[in-house]
Amino acid sequence: MSETSSNMNSENARLRLAAILREPVVLALFAIIILLGIGEAVSPGFARGDQIIKLLTVAALLGFAAAGQNLVVLAGGEGIDLSVGAMISLGAVIAGNVMDGSNGGIIPAVIVASGVTFLIGMVNGLGVNLIRIPPLVMTLGMTSVIQGGLVVFSRGIPSGNAAPALMNFINQPVVFGIPGILFIWLVLIIGMVFMLRATAFGLSIYAVGANPQAARLVGLPVKAIRTIVFGLSGALAGLTGVFVIGYTGNSFISVGDQYMLPSIIAVVIGGTSLAGGSGGYIGTVAGAIALILLQSVLTTLHLEFWGRQLIFGGTLLLLLMFYGRQKSARI
Amino acid sequence: MSPAITVRDLTKRFDKVHALTDGRLTVERGEIHALLGANGCGKSTLSKIVAGAYAPTSGTVLIDGKEVSFRSPRDAEQMGIALFYQELSLIPKMSVEANIFLRREPRNGLGFIDRDRMRAETLKLLEMFKEAVGDDIRPDALVADLTPGQRQIVEILKVYAKEPRIVIMDEATAALDGRQVKVFFDILRKKREEGVSTIFISHRLDEVFEICDHATIMRNGAVVAETTIADTTPEHVVHMMVGDVKKAPKRQLRDEDDKAPLLKLDAVGSAQLDNVSLSVAPGEIVGLGGLQGQGQSTLLRSLFGALPITSGEVLLNNEPVSIRKPADAVHRKIAYVSGDRGPDAALPGRSIFENLAAAILVSERRKLVRAKELQPQLAGVASAFKTKYARMTDAIGTLSGGNQQKIFIARWLATNPQLILLDDPTKGIDLAAKADLFALIRGLADSGVAVLLYSSEESELLDNCDRIAVFNDGAIVTELSGAEMDSFHLTRAAYGEA
Repeated sequence: MSETSSNMNSENARLRLAAILREPVVLALFAIIILLGIGEAVSPGFARGDQIIKLLTVAALLGFAAAGQNLVVLAGGEGIDLSVGAMISLGAVIAGNVMDGSNGGIIPAVIVASGVTFLIGMVNGLGVNLIRIPPLVMTLGMTSVIQGGLVVFSRGIPSGNAAPALMNFINQPVVFGIPGILFIWLVLIIGMVFMLRATAFGLSIYAVGANPQAARLVGLPVKAIRTIVFGLSGALAGLTGVFVIGYTGNSFISVGDQYMLPSIIAVVIGGTSLAGGSGGYIGTVAGAIALILLQSVLTTLHLEFWGRQLIFGGTLLLLLMFYGRQKSARI
Repeated sequence: MSPAITVRDLTKRFDKVHALTDGRLTVERGEIHALLGANGCGKSTLSKIVAGAYAPTSGTVLIDGKEVSFRSPRDAEQMGIALFYQELSLIPKMSVEANIFLRREPRNGLGFIDRDRMRAETLKLLEMFKEAVGDDIRPDALVADLTPGQRQIVEILKVYAKEPRIVIMDEATAALDGRQVKVFFDILRKKREEGVSTIFISHRLDEVFEICDHATIMRNGAVVAETTIADTTPEHVVHMMVGDVKKAPKRQLRDEDDKAPLLKLDAVGSAQLDNVSLSVAPGEIVGLGGLQGQGQSTLLRSLFGALPITSGEVLLNNEPVSIRKPADAVHRKIAYVSGDRGPDAALPGRSIFENLAAAILVSERRKLVRAKELQPQLAGVASAFKTKYARMTDAIGTLSGGNQQKIFIARWLATNPQLILLDDPTKGIDLAAKADLFALIRGLADSGVAVLLYSSEESELLDNCDRIAVFNDGAIVTELSGAEMDSFHLTRAAYGEA
C-alpha cells in the first residue's frame, strides 16, 4: 500500500515535472539559454554582461509594445492589434515634436503621445465591439489611416528630436551599469503581473477571454473590457514610441513598423493562447527576450533583413502549430 | 399490405443511461400517428432512430416490411423518411428557395443549378400555404427576414419538397398561429389521402385529438400503450403517460398572506413569453413545469437580464425594477445557475478559485481581488456544499461535472443572493450531487431566499417545490399546489389541458 502510494507520488512528480517542462515560459527560457550559447560559440563575447544589457534594452522596447498586444490577445474574441507598429511610429513622431530636443518636454511628450494613441486604440476597440469589425481588419485599416496621416502631416520629412535627458536615460547606465529603460520595464512587468493576477479587471480579462458568455452571465461587461484593452494597447504602443525616439534620437514615420509582427510572436512564444483566456505577461517577457536574442544571433550569422523575416514568420507559424496541437489535446 | 413503418424491441443506451428500453411503433400508410409522453420518456430518441440520426443499440426497424439499418439521416432520406427539425436546419442568410432545395438543387444539362425550375417548384410548394400566408413569403426572400411562423412554414415545405412517404413532425406547430395551424392540418390530411404517413409530436393535446388517427404512448423509455384516438379521451391519455400517480408529498401549507412576495411578475411578455404573472415569497421554492422549451428557461434568463422583456412589470420587494443586463441583476442580489455548464458557466483553463470568484467580484464591485482574504471565504462556501477538489489553483477542468456544477452554484452563494434562478441545474450530474444540491436549496429557502426552479425532470419539481407554475407556449397554463402536486396534474397541464 505504502509502496503503491510512493510509486504514485513519484509518478505524479514525474508528470508534474513533464508538465512544467512543457510550459511555454520554461521553453522560452531554454530557448534563451540555447541562443546565448550559439551566439557565444559563433562570436565570442556575445554573452558578455554589457552585450546582454544592450540586448535587454532592445528587448525592453519590444516588451512594452507586446504588453498591449498581450492584453488584447488575452481578452479573446480573435483579439489582435496589428496597429501596434503604426501607433509606435505615431507616438515617436508626436514625442519628437512635443520635446523638440528640450528636457522640459519629456513629461508632456509622454502624456500627449500615450493619450493620443490611447484614444485611437479606443476607436479600434469600439469598431471591434460596437460595429463588430473583425479585429484583424479594424486594426489593419487603422494602421493604414495612421501611416497615411503621418505622411500627410509631416510631408514625409522627419521632424522633432528626442530630449538629451531621455536619450541618456534609455541608452546610458543609471545604476550598476543598467540603463533606466530596464528599470521602467521592471516597473511595467510588476504592474502587468499585479493587474492580471490581483485586480478584478485582470481576472475579468481572463474570464472574458476564456468564455465570454459565462463572463456575461456573471455580470461582467464583456464589450467594455474588450474595448479598453485596445485602448491600453494603443497607449502602451504610444509610450513605446517615446522610448524608441529616445533610443534612436530622432524619428521617421515608419520607425514602428518593425515591431508589429514581433509583438505578436513574443506573445505567442510566451504561451499566451491566440484564442484568449490563458497566458500572461511573464511569458511574453521571456518571449521578447528570446526573439531579440534570435534576431541578434541571426545578425551575427550575417543573415540579411529578408532572411530574418523568413525565420521570424516561420517561427511564429511553427509555434502556433505546436501550441495549437497541445491545446486541442489539453481540454 | 405491410405497414409503412414497424419498429420492434428497439433499445438505445447512451453510456450507462438507458434512453429507450422498449421502443415499439406501427404506422400504417396514410395515417397520422401521435407519439406522446412526458419529458425524457424516449419519444425523441425513438424518432431520431427512425430518422437515422441515432443508431439503435438493439432492435429492428422495418420500412414497408423490409428491415433497414440507417447509418446516417441521408440513408433514411433515401428511403423516403423526412424529419421536421425545429428551426435548426434553416440558414438565415440564404433565400427561401435555396434553403428548401439545399444540397438537392435541380440541375440543368450542364450541371449548373437550374434557377428557373427551383423558383417554379418553390412557388408550387408555397401554394400549399397560400391560404394562411398569401404572397407574403417570396422564394427569393432571405430566411432571416421572415417571422418565426413563416420560417416554420418554410421548414415544413422543405420537408415536403423531398416528397417523403414518411414524415416525422416534431413540434412542427410550435411557432404557428391559429390560421397557419389550420392550413397545416389541411395539408396533413391531404398528404394522408395521398398515402403519406405522419408521425406527429406536439405539446398540445387538443391538436393530437383533432388530427391524429392513432397514438403510441411512452413512459420512462418504454411504450406503454397503443391506442386509437377515436376510442379514448385526453384524460385517459394523460393517465397512460403518467402511470401510477405518486401521492403528493405532505407539505406544510404556507401562509400565503404572512409574507409579501419578494418577486412579482405582472403580465411579463417578450418574443417567447406570453403574459406571465407569478409571485415568489421569501423562503419559497416555486417550480416552472411543462414540456421542454415552453418558455421556462426564457423566463429565467429574462429575469436575469440576459434576454429582453418587452412588456409587463417585474417587481422586486414591491418596487418595479428594470433589469437590462446581467450586471443589473447581480447588483440586485439575483443569481442565475444554468444547467448548460459548458457554454454558460465554465471559464475553461482558469483555476477553481477564479471560477468561484467571478460573481463576487462583480456583486461587491471589487477593484482588487485580495486572494488571501477571498480564498478561505470561498473555500468555506464550497465545502459547506461538499465540493471535492484538491487545490484552489487547479484548473476547473480537473473536476467532475457534478463538482464543477457545485463550484458554479457556490460562486453565487458567495454573493448572498435574495433570489436564485435555477435553470435545469442538475443536467448531467450524478444522483449524490443532485441530492446535495436540493438539500442546499431547501436550506437556502429556509433562510429566506426565494427560489425559482426549472427542471426537465418532473420528479425534481414535485419533490422539491412548494408550488409549480406550468408552462405551455410561453404562457402559464395553471399553477399547481397542495393536493394537485402530482405527476398526473403536471402532465395534463404540460399538454395544455388546464
